[in-house]
Amino acid sequence: MSNKNNYKSSGTLLLGGKKLRGELIAEERKACFVSKKQTIELPYPEIAVLKNVRNGGMASTITIKMQDQTEYVFSLPNGLKVYHYMDQQWDNRPRSMSRADELHRLAEMRGERIVKPRKHLFKRRRPNRSLGGDLGIYIMLALVACLMAFPLVFAVSSALKPLDELFRFPPTIFPQHPTIDNFSDLIVTMGQSWVPFSRYILNTVFITAVGTFGHLVIASMAAFVLAKYDFPGGRFFFGVVTTALMFSGYVTGIPNYVIMSKLNMIDTYWALLLPAFAAPIGLFMMKQFMEGLPTALIEAAKIDGAKEFRIFWSIVMPNVKPAWLTVIIFSVQSLWNTSASTVIYSEAKKTLVFALQQIQAGGIARTGQAAAVTVVVMAVPIIIFVLSQSQILETMASSGIKD
Amino acid sequence: MSKNQTGFAGRYFGMKADQFRYGWQKAKNNKVCYLFLAPYAILFFTFFILPIGTSIFYGFTYYNILEPARFIGVDNYVNLVLQDDVFLTSVKNTFVIAVITGPVGYILSFMFAWFINELPKWLRAIAVVIFYAPSIAGNAYSIFSIIFRGDAYGYLNAILLNLGFIDAPMLWLTNPAYIMPVLIFVILWMSMGTGFLSFVAGFQGIDKSMYEAGYVDGVRNRWQELYHITLPSMKPMLLFGAVMSITSAFNVCDVPRALAGFPSTDYAARTVVTHLFDYGFSRFEMGYASAIATLLFLVMILCKKFISAALEKVGT
Repeated sequence: MSNKNNYKSSGTLLLGGKKLRGELIAEERKACFVSKKQTIELPYPEIAVLKNVRNGGMASTITIKMQDQTEYVFSLPNGLKVYHYMDQQWDNRPRSMSRADELHRLAEMRGERIVKPRKHLFKRRRPNRSLGGDLGIYIMLALVACLMAFPLVFAVSSALKPLDELFRFPPTIFPQHPTIDNFSDLIVTMGQSWVPFSRYILNTVFITAVGTFGHLVIASMAAFVLAKYDFPGGRFFFGVVTTALMFSGYVTGIPNYVIMSKLNMIDTYWALLLPAFAAPIGLFMMKQFMEGLPTALIEAAKIDGAKEFRIFWSIVMPNVKPAWLTVIIFSVQSLWNTSASTVIYSEAKKTLVFALQQIQAGGIARTGQAAAVTVVVMAVPIIIFVLSQSQILETMASSGIKD
Repeated sequence: MSKNQTGFAGRYFGMKADQFRYGWQKAKNNKVCYLFLAPYAILFFTFFILPIGTSIFYGFTYYNILEPARFIGVDNYVNLVLQDDVFLTSVKNTFVIAVITGPVGYILSFMFAWFINELPKWLRAIAVVIFYAPSIAGNAYSIFSIIFRGDAYGYLNAILLNLGFIDAPMLWLTNPAYIMPVLIFVILWMSMGTGFLSFVAGFQGIDKSMYEAGYVDGVRNRWQELYHITLPSMKPMLLFGAVMSITSAFNVCDVPRALAGFPSTDYAARTVVTHLFDYGFSRFEMGYASAIATLLFLVMILCKKFISAALEKVGT
């Protein structure tokens, strides 16, 4: 496996007939060879000759001759990417003039006027891309992006408007005198609720944390065997899960209510937690991502005598971190937004979103607070997504359904 | 002749038995797999498979949780189709919403993912957040109740009044004639969901050398590139996106309830799922609600089958 951007590579150093095994590390001011016995520093200004190296190229054998005539020969089976700062001596070498340069010089000597190539306003276009098309796409994306963002911006600005501006005619997009009154009012309203408001927060945090953790563990275990073992029924089971992606909580709500009432789970946290544990989307994402894991990794662990659970816990799980994050985020999103009004009746067990919706439903007098609620509820999932976008996209790349 | 037939049958069953024995052996060798699968499988069965069975069963009964279920045959279904006018309205609404927002949302997700893919990397990250945010922003759609408010303080009304297009505020969310277009607009706004993300990731995963090869082979513009190279290599994501948009198109429930009220004027914003909610959780007629759920399951599964068959033909 060749690393794309390696600054260090392990290999052998040939020094006066002795072979030393160690690592060659390219740093900004010097290269270092580190072995168990000794560390050799090679400051760049003292490097006289560097053989077999192009700037940015991969080298498997490097010969470095220092100014004091010591010669180091490195053989690096994995290659080492050498950057400009390492071979700056090499860059300063006298170069033979290229054909174009030579023509240029001759023209200058003859006193001819040299027409400089016109600079392009835009970078050279990729093949199959027209300038007009690109511009059209940029403009359209910008317009649609404004349309998409407008309601969210509007929500934030409404939350910051004082009461008189909320009902001003004509309404303004941005608040003239932004205030956080709506948020402080919200806290006051929260303080007056029948059940202490911290209770709602605690409920939601508890449900989100436990539900997500359980879902992650249970779905990952199932995903692991579905992705990496061939056993009767496995493929069929996954097909069923794929179809079940379509069964949202709304459609299964009624029959689930009946089932939960038979299991005496209505009005307990279990009514929210157990279905969340089995959410199909998490298993689906996890399984698709785990398929990309090299089978050799698991085979090697098997040969070392690791049992399945050990393979799962200490080899597979650390290697699928992007998928973890994605599963966690999907699960947090759905659990955080759950109002659970149909399966939870006691006030003390209700969720934050439910309580906030009650405040929101308080009519026209609570318009400002309702906007503040919207901002509070929407901020959490959006912030989580912004922070973890690259990992989520990495996971989503394997999300396709193959028939 | 007959000997031949028994011979064939014998061989056939022999083969089946061999297959079964082989499968059983394989299952025994992989016992631990079932152990790993069990916790998920049990929960999944209870909360995702059993509900389908339950709703099929209770669909044939009168059941209100308090009394034991009473078998009434296909009465629920007959009532649904012949007597429940509101159900027919809800089917019509759901159908309109699904037919418009499903395919349009799907195509828009794909197109925007494709366009975003053309952007430089730093801009792409910002664009993905902007387009994806509405679908994860919790109940942010409730802000539309301010934008579309029926009095002059509503944002849209104020703009239109100021510009002189209308001389009295319009009741966007209470006038049955406007509810549907408003709902469709809001649902489209939220339609860049998980499928959209899958598309964005899929575009980034396509091997760049295929485009170069395509260029050599005579692909001359971005549309040809899309049809001959991009679409065929995105098939799995396309199917995933389709499943996601079927789900959201048929499960419209929160948006109409938050914007148009529950129940809405003249049932103009009634969808199948809000109808199901009404019967299930307001009137506790579980049997009737189960019949609705069964129909919905059926339609969604048929839809998925249809789309995966259609996607088979893409790019060929």
